[in-house]
Amino acid sequence: MRAGLLAACVLLAACAVPLDPPPSGPPARPDEVPRPGGTLRLGAAEDVHTLDPAIGYDTGSWAFEQMLFNTLVDYDEGTTIVPELAESWEVSPDGLHFAFTLRSGVRFSSGRALAAADVKYSLERLLRPALHSPGAEFFAGLAGVDEYVHGRSPEVRGITTPAANRVEFALAAVDPLFLHKLAMPFASVVDREAVERVGDLGFRRQPVGSGAFVLAEWVEGQRMRLARNPLYFRSGLPYLDGIEVTVGLSDQLGWFKYQRGEIDISGVPSAEFARVVADARYQPLLLERTTLRTQYLGLNCALPPFDQAAVRQAMNMAVNKQRLLDLIDGRGVVATTILPPDMPGYDSSTLSYPFDPAGARARLEAAGLGHGFATTLWASRDEGSMRLGQSLQQDLRAIGVELALKPVDFPTLIEAVRHPGMAPLFLLGWEADFPDPSNFLIVLLHSRSRGTNNNAFYANPEVDRLLDEAEPLLEPGRRLPLFHDAEVMIMRDAPWVPLFHPVGFAIRHPRVRNYQLHPLRPSRVETVWLAG
Amino acid sequence: MMALLGYLIRRVFRAITTLLGTTLILFVLVRVVPANPAVSIAGPKADPETLAAIRKDLGLDDPLAVQYGRYLERLVHGDLGRSYLTGRRVTEAIGERLPATAKLGLTALAVGFFLGLLIGIVTAARQGSAADIGVLIATLVGLSIPTFWLGNVLIYFFGYRLRWLPLGGAGALRHLVLPAATLAIVELFFYARFVHTNVGGTLASDYIRTARAKGVPPLRLYFVHALRNALIPVVTLLGLDVAALMSGVTLTETVFNWPGLGRLAVQSVFQLDIPVLAGTVLFSAALVLVANLVVDLLYGVIDPRVRHG
Repeated sequence: MRAGLLAACVLLAACAVPLDPPPSGPPARPDEVPRPGGTLRLGAAEDVHTLDPAIGYDTGSWAFEQMLFNTLVDYDEGTTIVPELAESWEVSPDGLHFAFTLRSGVRFSSGRALAAADVKYSLERLLRPALHSPGAEFFAGLAGVDEYVHGRSPEVRGITTPAANRVEFALAAVDPLFLHKLAMPFASVVDREAVERVGDLGFRRQPVGSGAFVLAEWVEGQRMRLARNPLYFRSGLPYLDGIEVTVGLSDQLGWFKYQRGEIDISGVPSAEFARVVADARYQPLLLERTTLRTQYLGLNCALPPFDQAAVRQAMNMAVNKQRLLDLIDGRGVVATTILPPDMPGYDSSTLSYPFDPAGARARLEAAGLGHGFATTLWASRDEGSMRLGQSLQQDLRAIGVELALKPVDFPTLIEAVRHPGMAPLFLLGWEADFPDPSNFLIVLLHSRSRGTNNNAFYANPEVDRLLDEAEPLLEPGRRLPLFHDAEVMIMRDAPWVPLFHPVGFAIRHPRVRNYQLHPLRPSRVETVWLAG
Repeated sequence: MMALLGYLIRRVFRAITTLLGTTLILFVLVRVVPANPAVSIAGPKADPETLAAIRKDLGLDDPLAVQYGRYLERLVHGDLGRSYLTGRRVTEAIGERLPATAKLGLTALAVGFFLGLLIGIVTAARQGSAADIGVLIATLVGLSIPTFWLGNVLIYFFGYRLRWLPLGGAGALRHLVLPAATLAIVELFFYARFVHTNVGGTLASDYIRTARAKGVPPLRLYFVHALRNALIPVVTLLGLDVAALMSGVTLTETVFNWPGLGRLAVQSVFQLDIPVLAGTVLFSAALVLVANLVVDLLYGVIDPRVRHG
């Protein structure tokens, strides 16, 4: 009791404290030029899982993998594919053959020259069944993968190296996303000699690539240091001498360290967000970027009463999405469709459901559920998800639906939603792997994806047909309209309540220049520099 | 002598059976979680084939009895397995984190224990005084403050506002001050309360009154005559306190970003890294058992009556 009272007093006192100024640093000048040198100081909640690009499949690992390794192609600051290790490439008219010419003079940080054979080795390593790479599925469409995986062939027939600077790929079937797949960190080129020296497990902590930085030190649970790679192929880059990551920072501790000028890039904790955004001293330091993400309420079509489209449509009309956004400090935009606004094929005129509780009630009545029902929402146990869950609880109560919250750990949630009879409703989000509608509509809503990521267990043969037809098409002019038709049909069937598209926020120390958030990838730091 | 040996054997045997029971409970607990560790390893977007292959590789599809047998067999060889996420040996990770936890825990225990002892005696000697009542109130508050809250308040004032001490992390001695203080405050009140009660009781006994009448100086009276007798139950308390200290350490390490075992355990919970989770919990359980065994044995030496109990 006493402690509670004391806590309340301190909390009140803390709220009355005005927002401290941001750390001070040199203001931007129009004539300034990049200054080499210095160490970028970052904070992280946890250690990265791995630095082996064949293994990592999370933002944290990717952030550092892309500093250490290169891929044949990459994205520009948007979602356009640009050359990286490849100087140029040709695609055959049938879309089945890709031929890349490698840039000359690229070396691994070990000093060895990077050649076409290394590209082949890296992808074959990724596909080796014993490695269990979550990235292997993306390259299963190369010709001869099946024979290779089942030990009938020592190599992947579809990857050839006619010259030291030429690598060619043959696909078993047309894949409009193949270039995007080569831009994934999974396709990073690794130093074969280093892998063989330290082994696959060792490579997770002792990575060797051709990237702008090399790993200098990693004390688990404490810090990781990266140093500039002097052999990096882009001359004059990176500008930074190194990167230092302090591991183990909570949101609050990270924010304190940012305000005290001890780290250069930070998130903004929820408790401070409204004040920071409204503060003119902080505004020029804020970085903001819409992402290719959709947060949604999944409705399990395999479980009554959500097997009825009318009930699912009622749910869509019952949710007050603007209030959900307010609960996350406005860090997003309301979602009316499945595809996020920056996605090719996005169409704001797609059929959607405005907030209409009375209409929702009417649909429930039409479905014979006018007296309401009780159901359960599965969600991750973090504070943000719980707040969203409580808001949904209120919305649904207004139409007579009693919602019980089931907070679980994230891995548990992922496991639960993959069983058809488990979670009637669930809160999930999806972040695009590729800037292509198939990455939402096929991966999450095709009937063949039930059991993996179609956690709504949605199945409509007509939608499947449209998606199957669109999938191999190379021309956007034919491809996108088919995906659009499928999306309209899905919205009519309403297996999801699209909630919002999150917007990414970060804040920089005033000395940091050229740090940008990317719509699809963690930020790249190659061209970041520090003003003196 | 034989009695002492018998007592010793009985205690060690009991500790071993308890540890075996712990392994079983732990094994069942980490496996009833309805989550697939393969998802934590390969990421939530991994395809079912990859997940199935990983499960098979980890032996998670074998019958539970087989898995438990394999677990015990490895345990006997000192093998706690490898982290699902980093692929590192759990024993290696624990070994790396142990010194930091030991440093924090022992510092907090030593400071808390001795200050608590001092305050306990002083307040017992001045029962009913303003200082005594003040300490009593402070104890009530001190024992009910949640560790993580206290830690955050200390960081805010001494780290962020006053800038006297670093904002979490480890390395120099000044990094140790705040986390050790957070833990020591709880320890201090705990021992102060206990010593206060015990010394207070002893002070009322006849032999102290006799000593006082014989003109023994007050300092000698409190610190030698009264304290010696009051200390015996405190030894037991020290053993029991190891368990409380371990849970305090876990929270404190998380708040202060202290790279010890507690943070390793918390991290493994959130990432469902079962070998690390099971390894750290088992290690802590073994530590508590050993501490209690030592106390039991000490007690047997100090007080012969216990051996026949």
